[in-house]
Amino acid sequence: MPRTLELRDTPFFPQEDYQCGPAALATVLRASGVEVAPDALAPQVYLPKRHGSLQAELIGASRRQGRLAYVLPGTGQALLTELVEGRPVLLLQNLGVKQIPKWHYAVLVGYDASRNIAVLRSGRRERKEVRWQRFARSWDRAGRWAMTTLAPGVIPAQADAAHYLEAVAGIEAAGDRKAAAISYDAAIARWPDEPMAWFGRGNAAYADGDRATAADAYTQAATLAPGDAAARNNLAQVLADAGCFEEAHRQLERGLALAAGTAFASMIEATRVEVEAAGQSATVPCSLPDRHWPD
Amino acid sequence: MHIERFHRSCVALLSVSLISLGLQTPAAAGIVGTADAIAATQQQNDLAVVRGALARADVREQMVTLGVDPAEVEGRLGALTGTELARLAGNINEAPAGGEELLALLGLVFVVLLVLELTGTIDIFKKA
Repeated sequence: MPRTLELRDTPFFPQEDYQCGPAALATVLRASGVEVAPDALAPQVYLPKRHGSLQAELIGASRRQGRLAYVLPGTGQALLTELVEGRPVLLLQNLGVKQIPKWHYAVLVGYDASRNIAVLRSGRRERKEVRWQRFARSWDRAGRWAMTTLAPGVIPAQADAAHYLEAVAGIEAAGDRKAAAISYDAAIARWPDEPMAWFGRGNAAYADGDRATAADAYTQAATLAPGDAAARNNLAQVLADAGCFEEAHRQLERGLALAAGTAFASMIEATRVEVEAAGQSATVPCSLPDRHWPD
Repeated sequence: MHIERFHRSCVALLSVSLISLGLQTPAAAGIVGTADAIAATQQQNDLAVVRGALARADVREQMVTLGVDPAEVEGRLGALTGTELARLAGNINEAPAGGEELLALLGLVFVVLLVLELTGTIDIFKKA
């Protein structure tokens, strides 16, 4: 790791009253290739009567711009690793004290180990130098929360599968199918044995109307995680859509047994009722090639 | 006598509304989203899957109360997962809202001064 590093090309948006959220978010989004200004983001994140923006909404707004919001582990090392990979870090600081907090978002763009400083884009200051310990304490008082925005397909070198897939699942939930599909493909390339990456790939394909790919991906997910009731449910749904009612029924029976007592039990039961009804009036034969479905 | 009857009808009304509430939120069949599947694998968030739908309505209302333009609310809700909505429903008024609250602090100082003035402790706001 270099002694000194500064991402000088990181753009700067001087914040207006209370608007450090939109300003900081625009900074990292621009750095990840999205042409967006704070004014466009303010209506998506600012809570007028709280005079500020919530972390969850910075995450949501990133997704609306086609970027994954990747929340970093709360270690100084994680911040530095992001900078080394060329991504500035959006973070929450508490500039007040614990009892009277003063929440503020800033963007870490560099550090100088020999001078012991952090370099920030902060408020109206384009280049703010803060003693590293002082910066670290303000970050610690804010729960060590930090995030970067990732273009679909980019996976941080240090990322773990669970964290990354959570970020992708978020953009899937926000309805950006294309970004989700690209990201799940990247996740499968990096972690081929991760069932949730296949599960997500199946959902992206299903949303795209690609039944064969979806069925394959759900099969991989259910094979890698035989106890996952949700994978059985989704596999059964795509099988039923393709007219393969016999196998759909078998997967739902498995799913129901696995989901007993969990949040999914009633949903899988509802899927079963629908699939049975559709099966009664089925006229076309199964359109998926026969294969070995998960046991 | 009357009160007892009143109680009984209250209980009946409540029961009916609880039952219909239950009927209004059946589990939808179909595809499980990846975010919900992940939440279910993390034991402590199991219930968030169920609560997500209810939380959406809560957060919608709270956002409008907190001054968000109603035309913007749906887009903001749509960008969040069920787990995030459930969490937000519980803490939207306390969660850190980053915004550099310098002016809010000045406001607090003003209020303190005003109280001191009104109680006669200080006399800095001269009357005309």
